[in-house]
Amino acid sequence: MSRSIERQLHLIDFTVGSILRRKGKNGALLLVYTLVIFVLASVLFFTRSLRTEVAAVLKNSPDIIVQRTLTGRYQFIPVRYADSLRSIRGIASIAPRLWGYYYDGGFGANYTLMVPTIDTVQSGTIDIGSGIAKLRKIGIGDIVPLIGYDGNPQTFTVAHILADESALVSADLILMSEADYRVFSRIPEGYATDLILTARNPREFPTIAEKITRLLPDTRPIVKNEILRTYDAVFSWRAGIIMLLFTVVILAFFIFSFDKATGLSAEERKEIGILKAIGWETGDVLAMKFWEGIAISLVAFFLGAIIAYAHVFFGGGFLFAPILKGWSTLYPSFTLAAHVNAGDLFALFFLSVVPYTIATIAPAWRVAVIDPDAVMR
Amino acid sequence: MIDIRNVSKVFNTGRPNEFTAIAGISLHLSLQETTVLKGPSGSGKTTLLSLIGCMTRPTSGRIFIDNREITSLPERFLTGIRRTTFGFIFQRFNLLRGFTALENVMAPALPEGEKYAPLKKRAIDILGMLDLDHRYDAKAEWLSGGEAQRVAIARALINNPSIIIADEPTAHLDGKLSGEFLSIMEILKGEGKTIIIASHDPLVYESTLADRIVEIRHGEIGGDGALP
Repeated sequence: MSRSIERQLHLIDFTVGSILRRKGKNGALLLVYTLVIFVLASVLFFTRSLRTEVAAVLKNSPDIIVQRTLTGRYQFIPVRYADSLRSIRGIASIAPRLWGYYYDGGFGANYTLMVPTIDTVQSGTIDIGSGIAKLRKIGIGDIVPLIGYDGNPQTFTVAHILADESALVSADLILMSEADYRVFSRIPEGYATDLILTARNPREFPTIAEKITRLLPDTRPIVKNEILRTYDAVFSWRAGIIMLLFTVVILAFFIFSFDKATGLSAEERKEIGILKAIGWETGDVLAMKFWEGIAISLVAFFLGAIIAYAHVFFGGGFLFAPILKGWSTLYPSFTLAAHVNAGDLFALFFLSVVPYTIATIAPAWRVAVIDPDAVMR
Repeated sequence: MIDIRNVSKVFNTGRPNEFTAIAGISLHLSLQETTVLKGPSGSGKTTLLSLIGCMTRPTSGRIFIDNREITSLPERFLTGIRRTTFGFIFQRFNLLRGFTALENVMAPALPEGEKYAPLKKRAIDILGMLDLDHRYDAKAEWLSGGEAQRVAIARALINNPSIIIADEPTAHLDGKLSGEFLSIMEILKGEGKTIIIASHDPLVYESTLADRIVEIRHGEIGGDGALP
């Protein structure tokens, strides 16, 4: 091993010893630092994961959804409307869709009931999402009573548990046959909840939407990109609220760390003088301070990020979820799939480790360039 | 040979509190001898030691060690000379609090990048030579006055310097510990080390250790002569 590496190892060893001498002070600093990183990383992980989940949901969602409205309020849409829309150029497919929400009072959760457009479900059976299975502690073959539109319970046998590729997509989902759903919800034959359209060219979505409104004035087309934009804005806004709340904490931390790092105590100044007097170069003193800054900020960064990861992806982000998820807390609980963006982590690293390390070195440099004979006096 | 030629040191130059600590001193010190710089407080002894020990640069004049001029060297080279040529024993020992005796002794050698195991062994050996091998893992603040002094001596010896510089080494020691210090210096002198001590303690400058006494007053040499 070269002497320069050995020298750095000696300096790191010395720095660790130096940090451990002031356990209380450095421990408190590490705690506050870790807390700040934890909050920032939690919000980053949470919003990034929600956005990725939403993008996954919308990836398989129809390009355009057509709803019918009456005086601005939602109505069932006649299936025959689909025939009128087929004349619009650029539309690849049109299909009616039956779906709705179901509130399970016993468990305080909202489910999404849906008739699948591709696969079929046998009459009298349902396929359920993993969240519902977990919440109600039920499995394949179990009988589930659901309260119909008339207030009477109807029973269904669980045929499948849906694979949870994305928990947000399927956790709250119940799939049932068209016949069962019409009986259950009293949506008459010839009507659907909405129509779903696919189009060949995404750039034509706005034009198609405009033509739909012109052709069927009592309908409201919803374009996929708009939903994505809305969700994105909502999550950014919610994340912004959290960030705003913690700005005070972050500011307090910066003042604290700046004060700690920039204001060398008389004892620290004397120590730097002794080290220089016994033969340490200015560069050695700065390297020691560099390792000190790196050690504290890196440990805080990793601790904060790891705890945030566990908090968001294993603990469901219980501290911030009520603000970040909003009304969707009525869904059965689900665990977010772990989506961590390297860019986010990199930004967090640069906003935390680098400024602190520089703030540690700067004042030491001012002291280290002074002649060491001051220590003789 | 340590050759000091017309060296001056002025602090706070150009300010109202400007003062001259050393005023044009010229001095030749032989190697492998013990020189005691004698004089009252504020006479300039410590400043002269700092100048010889490459801790600060003179305002004017030149200093040569073994015919090599050190005053014009860049800071990095000056530090290298300070680390390898000189061993310092400070007035208040200046041990690093919170570190063990062993860590204090090893500290001057860390920038050399020597392997840890032989460095540690050498430090323990030096502590052993000074009867401190049983206290090597004691923190600096737990050491008694005598122990702290011997750790400071061990630290000065870790890089095997040829010149030992001690500033008022007995100022905070009782007669017994002062005697111990002088005995250790006698041993080092016997090993061929050059020793330069600044002191106004008669116990030091009247001891058999001193080969030469240089008296300093008001930054100038007041009396200089080899002992008979």
